[in-house]
Amino acid sequence: MKNGLVFFVGLFAALALSWGAIVLGSHRQLGALAPFYDDSESASFPARPTGLAARGQLVYADLGCASCHTQQVRRPDFGGDQARGWGERQSVARDYIFQLRPQLGGARVGPDLTNLASRKPSAPDTDDLLKLLYTGSPLHPAYAFLFEERAIAGERSAVALKLTAGLAPAAGREIVPTERALSLVAFLLSLNTSYDYPESRPLPKAAAKKDAGHGAAPAAKKEGEKK
Amino acid sequence: MTIASTNAEVTAIDTQARWPLLLMLGGALKWLVVAGVLSLIVSIQLHSPAFLAEYSVFTHGRAVAMAETAFVYGWAANAGLALALWILGRLGGEPLRALNWVVVGTYAWNIGVAIGIVGIAIGDATSFSLLQMPGYAQPLMLVGYAAIAVSGILAWSGRRTDGTFASHWYAIAALFLFPWLFSAAQAMLVWTPVRGVLQAVAAGWFAQGVWTLWLAPLALAVAYYVVPKVTGRALSGYDFAPHGFWTLIVIGAWTGGRHLVGGPLPAWVATLAIVSCTLLLFHTLVVALNLRGAFGGGGTALKFIAFGVGAYVFGGLLDAVTAFRSVALVTQFTHFTTAQQQLALYGGVSMILFGGIYFAVPRLTGRPWASAAFVAGHRVTVVLGIVLLVVSLAAAGWIQGHDLNNPKISFADIALHTRPWLLLATAAQLILLSANLLLLVNFVRSVGACCCCGEETAPAEAPFRPAATMEAHAS
Repeated sequence: MKNGLVFFVGLFAALALSWGAIVLGSHRQLGALAPFYDDSESASFPARPTGLAARGQLVYADLGCASCHTQQVRRPDFGGDQARGWGERQSVARDYIFQLRPQLGGARVGPDLTNLASRKPSAPDTDDLLKLLYTGSPLHPAYAFLFEERAIAGERSAVALKLTAGLAPAAGREIVPTERALSLVAFLLSLNTSYDYPESRPLPKAAAKKDAGHGAAPAAKKEGEKK
Repeated sequence: MTIASTNAEVTAIDTQARWPLLLMLGGALKWLVVAGVLSLIVSIQLHSPAFLAEYSVFTHGRAVAMAETAFVYGWAANAGLALALWILGRLGGEPLRALNWVVVGTYAWNIGVAIGIVGIAIGDATSFSLLQMPGYAQPLMLVGYAAIAVSGILAWSGRRTDGTFASHWYAIAALFLFPWLFSAAQAMLVWTPVRGVLQAVAAGWFAQGVWTLWLAPLALAVAYYVVPKVTGRALSGYDFAPHGFWTLIVIGAWTGGRHLVGGPLPAWVATLAIVSCTLLLFHTLVVALNLRGAFGGGGTALKFIAFGVGAYVFGGLLDAVTAFRSVALVTQFTHFTTAQQQLALYGGVSMILFGGIYFAVPRLTGRPWASAAFVAGHRVTVVLGIVLLVVSLAAAGWIQGHDLNNPKISFADIALHTRPWLLLATAAQLILLSANLLLLVNFVRSVGACCCCGEETAPAEAPFRPAATMEAHAS
């Protein structure tokens, strides 16, 4: 390594090669991914998030929710994601194409949120989520700074929290979610990837194994079942 | 190490570089303590989620991001760069040049990191691992980094001997590659973000690059320099060192997809990472072979480095094993990955940097450490803290991983099962924080004793060196 120029060129080439292979390579494969247009529904998937939900994702990112919650469901035979009711299919790259800052996450201290809005048997609604954010639970911190307590001026606010007993504020006062809280909840309730893309169906190989030779049949059946 | 032995070794190369490098090391230790406090908060929140939750600046996600930033860009970067410059100067056989630039760069870098951490606290984090600092802090850091690195590059190009040594390669590679990595990541993730899940791929490439192409080389430069110096013996199997070096540089960043196993990405991204993690074992093997002399015993510096090399090698093996899909099925998304990260960053890189600091500071100040008891105390507590932290997080993660894969176990039960281990991890963070306070106090006292005037106690007060003296030495 006496030749300085060759050494530096070698260093740079090594870095450039890994960048080209991993980043450019995956960009080449996924960079132009388009929404999937479904003729039978006359709609394309995934749907663009509403403005409020898109802003909510930024709140989700800035609070660092991804440090405890993932947003990716793994394939059925890999981990208990499906059995926990987090989703009926694996997440695919197309699910995220309209997300400004996808929050795949790296830790599951809490549950996965990929399909929070389509949870079975019943998905949480705005009130549930606002209440969880305000009061917390033994497993979830309370983010009181997303709310403001104020005197009721005239009529009670339509979005004020409906709290009971010990949690309720003093008479004549109300707890109102800030805009950040409302957009965060709107984002959480937009999380729904139940639409079945061609690439998200189980591999034919796995199906073939199960059905012992009738590999083509389940795929066709699935097609018909599509909602 | 006695006064006589250190004094005999102190040369003009050390005294010239004294204040700029002590300034960087002082900055590093301050960030280490800041990172320790933040890590303690993070650790407490894992078993008591309500802790500090009412303050938006300390939500768990932000505290994690701040702790990681302070640790990597505050502590490891400052300490690693200071030691790399010092080693490049000594190997070059000439006093370091452009030290004014180093001082300016150090201030710029540290102000950048401080802005970045405040930015995360107020909610501007980018949400990419190891690149959490908001976009407005990053250009300043890049400028500061360039100013610091000038001195290292000059020391390399102006070296007296034609030949080079393994420390040279690792130090220069780290100095040279980081700005490319950092600016490429900024461009792809912050300024003009790539689309959808490609962000996760780019972020993974960057995070693994920071580890394999910057932090690990900085630490290895220190280890390759100090081990033969202290043992007085040539490195064993040194002929393999270039192969080990190039394996790390060429393969390192290819491990970028290792946390994306099973994710919404083409399978080849993860497969490539698994293969690369396995190939990197060759590098790990060469490092173990070359540096096995460190385990022969010796002074304080060598004991730290021996632990660091051991953790580095063990961490490399663990990375290769957990990269496999069957193991990742359990360890992915759990505290186990945190344990691996701490093993690498604390056990590997930081311990080697501690060793480097214990070796370099007496030579920079020209006198031994202020308190030998603090040195011994730091060594015992930091080893205890790291072992406890890694073991408890790994145990918590293993339990968590198995529980997560069993859909009948609720999250409340998982929290209950992991709680004892997470409490232990908090104790470990407390031990580590007190250990590093010992080091900071000892450092401030040693540096304070070094200034004859007596009033300059903190390294932050280091003056700019007058231009005239600079010119006299810039040959």
